[in-house]
Amino acid sequence: MKLAMKTMLALVLAASVPVAQDAEAGFPGLGAARNPRVEIAWNRLYDFEDIYAHLDRLVAEWPDLLSMQVIGHSVENREMRVYTLNNGATGADTEKPAFWLDGNVHGNEVQGGEGVVYCAWYLLENYGTNERVTELVDRSAFYLLPMQNPDGRSNWFKHAHNAHSSRSGVMPLDRDLDGLADEDGPDDLDGDGSIVQMRKYVPGTGTHRLNRDDPRIMERVPTNERGIRGDWILLGSEGIDNDGDGRINEDSLGGYDMNRAWPSLWFPDHVQFGAGPYPLYWPEARCIARFILDHPNIAGVQSYHNSGGMILRGPGAEVFGPYPRADVSVYDAIGQDGEKMLPFYRYMIIWKDLYSVFGGFVNWTYEGLGIFSFTNEMWASNRNSPDDRVEGGSEGRQWFDDHLLMGAGFVDWHEYDHPLYGKIEIGGFKKDVGRVPPSFLIEEMLHRNAMFVIRHAETMPSVSIAEPVVAELGDGVRTIDVIVSNEKLMPTRSSLAVRDELGAPDLITIEGDGIEVLAGGFRTDRFRPERIDLQDHDPARLIRDEGVGSLEEVRVRWIVRGGGSVTIRVTSEKAQDASRSFEF
Amino acid sequence: MLIPTPMFGVALATLVSATSAPLGDVESLSHARLSEALAAVASEHPDVASLHRVGVSREGRAIEALRLTGTEDPSNHPALLLVANLEGPRVFESGVVLDHARRLANAYESDESVRALLDTTVVWFVPRANPDAAEGRFASPSIERWASSIDVDNDRDGRRGEDGPADVNGDGVVTTMRVLDPEGEWMEDPTDARVLIQADRVKGERGKWRLYPESRDLDGDETFGEDAPRDAQVDRNFASGWEEHVARAGTFPTDEPEARALCEFVMAQKNLALVVVYDGHDNLVEKPKSVADDAAPVKRVPPYGVLESDAELLEEIGREYREQTKNEAKGDGEDAGTFARWCYDHRGLVTLSAVLWNLPDEAPAADEDADAAEGDDGAVTEEAAADEAAPAEEEDDEVSESDAKPSDDAKHLLWIDGAGESWRFVDWTPFDHPELGSVEIGGFAPFARSEPPQDAWTKIADAHFDWFQGLGELLPRIELVECEREKLGTGVWKVTATLTNDAYLPLLSRSMQRTRTTRPAKVSLVLPDGATLLSGNTQELVRDLAGSGGRAEFEWLVHGPDGMELGVSVDSDHAGRAFRKAEVSQ
Ligand SMILES: [Zn+2]
Repeated sequence: MKLAMKTMLALVLAASVPVAQDAEAGFPGLGAARNPRVEIAWNRLYDFEDIYAHLDRLVAEWPDLLSMQVIGHSVENREMRVYTLNNGATGADTEKPAFWLDGNVHGNEVQGGEGVVYCAWYLLENYGTNERVTELVDRSAFYLLPMQNPDGRSNWFKHAHNAHSSRSGVMPLDRDLDGLADEDGPDDLDGDGSIVQMRKYVPGTGTHRLNRDDPRIMERVPTNERGIRGDWILLGSEGIDNDGDGRINEDSLGGYDMNRAWPSLWFPDHVQFGAGPYPLYWPEARCIARFILDHPNIAGVQSYHNSGGMILRGPGAEVFGPYPRADVSVYDAIGQDGEKMLPFYRYMIIWKDLYSVFGGFVNWTYEGLGIFSFTNEMWASNRNSPDDRVEGGSEGRQWFDDHLLMGAGFVDWHEYDHPLYGKIEIGGFKKDVGRVPPSFLIEEMLHRNAMFVIRHAETMPSVSIAEPVVAELGDGVRTIDVIVSNEKLMPTRSSLAVRDELGAPDLITIEGDGIEVLAGGFRTDRFRPERIDLQDHDPARLIRDEGVGSLEEVRVRWIVRGGGSVTIRVTSEKAQDASRSFEF
Repeated sequence: MLIPTPMFGVALATLVSATSAPLGDVESLSHARLSEALAAVASEHPDVASLHRVGVSREGRAIEALRLTGTEDPSNHPALLLVANLEGPRVFESGVVLDHARRLANAYESDESVRALLDTTVVWFVPRANPDAAEGRFASPSIERWASSIDVDNDRDGRRGEDGPADVNGDGVVTTMRVLDPEGEWMEDPTDARVLIQADRVKGERGKWRLYPESRDLDGDETFGEDAPRDAQVDRNFASGWEEHVARAGTFPTDEPEARALCEFVMAQKNLALVVVYDGHDNLVEKPKSVADDAAPVKRVPPYGVLESDAELLEEIGREYREQTKNEAKGDGEDAGTFARWCYDHRGLVTLSAVLWNLPDEAPAADEDADAAEGDDGAVTEEAAADEAAPAEEEDDEVSESDAKPSDDAKHLLWIDGAGESWRFVDWTPFDHPELGSVEIGGFAPFARSEPPQDAWTKIADAHFDWFQGLGELLPRIELVECEREKLGTGVWKVTATLTNDAYLPLLSRSMQRTRTTRPAKVSLVLPDGATLLSGNTQELVRDLAGSGGRAEFEWLVHGPDGMELGVSVDSDHAGRAFRKAEVSQ
């Protein structure tokens, strides 16, 4: 009943949303919008300009729910935009628990951008018709930054690359210390728009041979004493020695990693490759950090990457030590649901299950700021073939490309006359194979990941104050007992935030012209009201540094003289404030 | 004492005429007057001096750098950077840096060694890296400020900066309050009742006083001075060893604009080869903690310390420093998050830190002009002074005077009393405090522990100037000393070249070889058209070239006509460049 009332109220408040009265329109059970107001093709990848254009269309359609602000500029002066999804009629975004979602910090990991757009689109399209979406949107805010690295994205779209290149930002860096920056990256030698592999035929003196069933596939020849040698050598990515230093492709675009730029457990480049000269060195990372620091209401963070199907949480490095137990329970509950919502994704701890990361983004947001945060590695290539009928490895990839993409993802080996290597062959998979799904699986990836974000966001804390119980002690002195509870999985303050004194403490206050607060504190035993942690100073304003925990009920008792109209208020950085007024 | 030199002309004149108000005499070092003085050096010596901007402080003050060089192309010569006053309270050091710059500029025309230095070197001076905090020295009441910005809720009460230190009794200085309290942890030092020491119950000592910073309790929480309105310190805000979640370290490394500006400044000086810092840290008097060059990482984190190869060089430089300056002042030994540590650990720059003066802990020698007293064992004087100084009237406990050893603060008072520097200690004065009632306010004055007496300024500055002037000899400089070609047969030539570094420091410190932040020297064979390389690389990057005559040899085989022009070039960002034609060897 209460929920229904709330929803009704929200619908009335959100006047701009025409409530879908028409039950005939569309098929709501299919998951996405029944009758979308903004059509976006979800089977495509979009360049930088188009990602913003889609979001701008959403802003134009839902101006009361979505707004845009420019928080900074990239190295190449592209706008860094945060889109705020918030229903102003239910309060300012800064007063609500907020969810931060971003994508594409690695330039080549593009689908995070579409993931952010999908999330915004899904929430907006379903606002007012789907009860849970409506409730979530009304009680929280979303800060959506589709691209942490718009330059890298743009470069990946517009220039020849492979699936792994353009990870960096584009600020020139002299990676090989020869006094020149970015002077020798891979080259699209044959001008076909792809950076693929080089191989050379060297009969009897090579390390590789061609696969017997599929000569497109290179196999390493095992070392053996019979002296069997391969006929081929592999020569790396397409490229020449641009700067004449005797090396090929040794100093390519950028050469740093903006997901190693964050202040928690940050180490410089010689310890953590790509970290830069000091934390938040690049303008993209710095403006994001500033925005997040200016929004202490952010309670949940996800950062979309690709690939490999991983729901990652910290610690990024072993030296951090384990996360506090109570926080791990929250992480586990969300992460384990994620594994079920995202087939072939695994919930993992970064340093232990993947590799060590110093200065990672989600490490900063949790270890530095106490926000429950995940890195989501979108796209598990097992999704191409969910059982073992198509074998894994190169054979499987070629088979999939041949039969489901009509060979569109592979550049067949062809001859090229290389200035150093002479007659060689160039060929291999294109940049859009391997780390992003084929078109017909993109929508599935976007939807499942958006649902995981929503699952995470629904756990954000919500605090309420139960009906106070007033008892007479005589002579106008009374006890007031109040239960403050958090109905959600996520505590108002993570255990880490409490431990490391991050953010502001929660406050539970009582106010009334007719009362004098004689004492107040938190009850420590639900059956014995005399067991109470009294706060000596200013008992009308109780400081609750440990917050209101996961599904916790906090019992407060005040002893007051007098009566009349009284207001009890709970203030919390990461939950909407709650208040209750009553008279006695 | 002393004839005022050009350096502190103004300050000294003030001093001589106003010894009764020594606190006022540093006015020439306020931000405004320091800026004027720097501008004057630049405008009076346009041939060698130029003024540059490092950045702007949080409160909008310019952080300035004065550059001195007589080189035609400064980027072709190594640079040396001298920075002071990152912390705030040590404003005197800014004056020393200004003085160094002014003296070098003045002497450029007349002094051959100064000319030799500036014609081959770029010298940068940043006398005041933290102008906001330094202004505390010139504020009223004057207050030791380290912090310049963020405001942390230190007492976790949901309010920020509500109760900081303040001049409660209006005597113009912010000191300490003491309150008689049976639960107090502090007792009087038996050798000097002005000094409070922590009572040790194990020894049967009882506390008598409770100590608070001079402050009010405006929020009524019965704590005092618990939540100052500023927390982040510039010289804790650099990335090496940054203390996360510690208020003084700031929100994130380089969040303080001064820290970031300095980082950018250092990174922009690609020819930077040596950094010197005059402030509260030291690695010249006390040997810094070192680790083996190849110390194994622990859980993937390399152990921090000066790498042994570099530490050996530092030790030698430190020995020379002590010999020349006679300075024995040590730092606080804590370098987490400091500029100096970042320069060395993350940029590989050899960085020398000096504390120019600390409050002495023995009575001054009787004859002020006798330099010999400096290094003497002060024990005799100390005891004698202790007997005199200990006011026994208030003592009622059983510790006999003769047994008691003076605490560190009591020793400092021996010097203060002996030197007649009474402003450094404010006698305990009763005061009726609005929240605490009857208290006494007093103790060590701000700046008492770090600012040298003005009659010592010139001597300190002189000694350091002489030392600083010699630092040009440390900077790595590469030279091609030999470049020859030898005919092996028709058209086949062996080309050899030798690169040397006659300066004290190696081309790249061990740390710099690790951080890869300054590029190695690049040795290139310059081949004419028609010649082909038979053996060797046209480019070689040289990382490991020792100082003090370190050599590296190169060899190529070239095919080409007899008359061809062959040469070798070397270029670096921070140790010079050279080209040498390969002469036919006999
Ligand atoms: Zn990534």
